[in-house]
Amino acid sequence: MTEVSNKAERSSHTVILDSLMVMIVIAAGILWVSSPTEKLLGDSAYSVRSAFHGLFAGIFMVTATIGLYQALRLWSGIPLNIRELELGSIVNAFACFLTIILGNWLYIPYRAPGGPRAHFLERLPEIHGIFFEFKEFTALFTLPLAVTASYLICLYGERMKANKALRETTALLLVLNFFYFVVAFGLGAAITKLKSV
Amino acid sequence: MICKVDREKLGAAQAAILAAMLGTLTVGVVNLGTEISGSFKKWVQDAGKFWMPGAEGIGPYSGKETLALVVWLASWFLLHRFLRKREWNQSVVCGLFLAGIALATTLVWPPVFHFLGGKP
Repeated sequence: MTEVSNKAERSSHTVILDSLMVMIVIAAGILWVSSPTEKLLGDSAYSVRSAFHGLFAGIFMVTATIGLYQALRLWSGIPLNIRELELGSIVNAFACFLTIILGNWLYIPYRAPGGPRAHFLERLPEIHGIFFEFKEFTALFTLPLAVTASYLICLYGERMKANKALRETTALLLVLNFFYFVVAFGLGAAITKLKSV
Repeated sequence: MICKVDREKLGAAQAAILAAMLGTLTVGVVNLGTEISGSFKKWVQDAGKFWMPGAEGIGPYSGKETLALVVWLASWFLLHRFLRKREWNQSVVCGLFLAGIALATTLVWPPVFHFLGGKP
């Protein structure tokens, strides 16, 4: 009876997920052919790399925020689903890595002659000299923090539930990861508003 | 790296968090070094150009990333080898970790590294 019930549940999950995938593909197709979506990227030669950096930073914002919530649960000793925590932390670390890689790629036009860096140094030197420089370094802090949090969760797994010191250390890493992400993301968004690549 | 770890002890976790701290601290220290010395700045930039695609376009930042990555991963490997079957006092490790992260953050705050580097 239980086996039949499990099979029915799996089948129901598959139908829902497959239907959602088909709906997303159809909606994306209709959007693509019926509207000038490329105009959303802007007319910059670097619009695609800029869009991808923003996309992964957006994903990282979601995963880092979930990480902050999980950190509060870890800290308080609230029962946790370790599998869920593992998956979330791995996605968070990958999103962080890709955001940094794409940020590097976007940094090239930022520093190029006539780019935003030159613009700021000429008109608003403190924007580059203080805020951008701080953002570019604190953004790097997120990777070791995110990877280490994920490593601890995957390595210790269920043991984490009974080990207060380990839970608190992991929570600390996730909170710091969120903090440095917010600093880098907030400054990046503000600077892009002033002058984008 | 996960194999042959005593998961009843916190050594592997302590190795990982201390290595993360050393990686972030490297960013701060190397950045300060590039502010102080022009020849060190050139060496850092060359370290980035050695392997990173497009490193020419991002200047010494590529070398700062490279050195931070090397220190982070190398120190993780070494600390893991040393700590995987033992553990230190967790409060001391967490204190060191937080102090290192705080120092790294202070060293990458531009008014601080400009001041220490002798720039107005």
